[in-house]
Amino acid sequence: MVDGLKKAYEGRVEFKLYNVEKDATGAKLANQLGAQFVPTFEFVNADGTIAKEIVGEASESQLRQQLDALQ
Amino acid sequence: MRLLRQNPAGGHRRARAVLAALAVTAILVTAGCGDSLPPAGNVDNAAAKSLASKGVRIIDVRTASEYEAGHIPQAENVPLDQLGAAIGSWDSGKPVLVYCAVGDRSVEAMRMLTSAGFKTVYNLQGGIVAWDGDVTSGSGGSKTAGTLSPSASGLPVLYEFYTDW
Repeated sequence: MVDGLKKAYEGRVEFKLYNVEKDATGAKLANQLGAQFVPTFEFVNADGTIAKEIVGEASESQLRQQLDALQ
Repeated sequence: MRLLRQNPAGGHRRARAVLAALAVTAILVTAGCGDSLPPAGNVDNAAAKSLASKGVRIIDVRTASEYEAGHIPQAENVPLDQLGAAIGSWDSGKPVLVYCAVGDRSVEAMRMLTSAGFKTVYNLQGGIVAWDGDVTSGSGGSKTAGTLSPSASGLPVLYEFYTDW
């Protein structure tokens, strides 16, 4: 689902997906952001402010809603 | 007359005192230099922090995207596959600290630097995974509470942290 969204939002939103078990950098970043559960989605505006965090499974419409709200 | 006799003697004493002070300073400076940098090789977090505070050049040999996701604040990103070309223009007399994710690529980087004539090369043991100091994300500024550095692309970013299970 996220892969589909990644294509749909190409050029508008950058997608950074980290498998925290395999990707040490991702694990470190998750730790930095205080993400303690998987999945966790962090929506970050272009200026670096965190607009929204969704912890746990999210529906495509939920994700789209947040992606559309990003600035 | 008394004053004239005493002056040269006083001058000698002063000169001796100045020389002694210079000698002590020289010894302290020399000793300071000797102690300021640990021997080349693997270093732990504490030693790496000390090297960073002394302005030792820090090279992150991971890929650009790994670097952007989080790196030691002063580190420059020179991915391992570009290191060989880059080090030709570097001063081999200056110390360099290298690191990667877990310490594999940086061992190779250390080997490359050493064979290129670099005398003082350090490797952060365990890489950034083991690093407990400050980490900066993006290609520039630092993360603050509730914000991240703006992405290099200038676009908003969705981060997803997941596992296979």
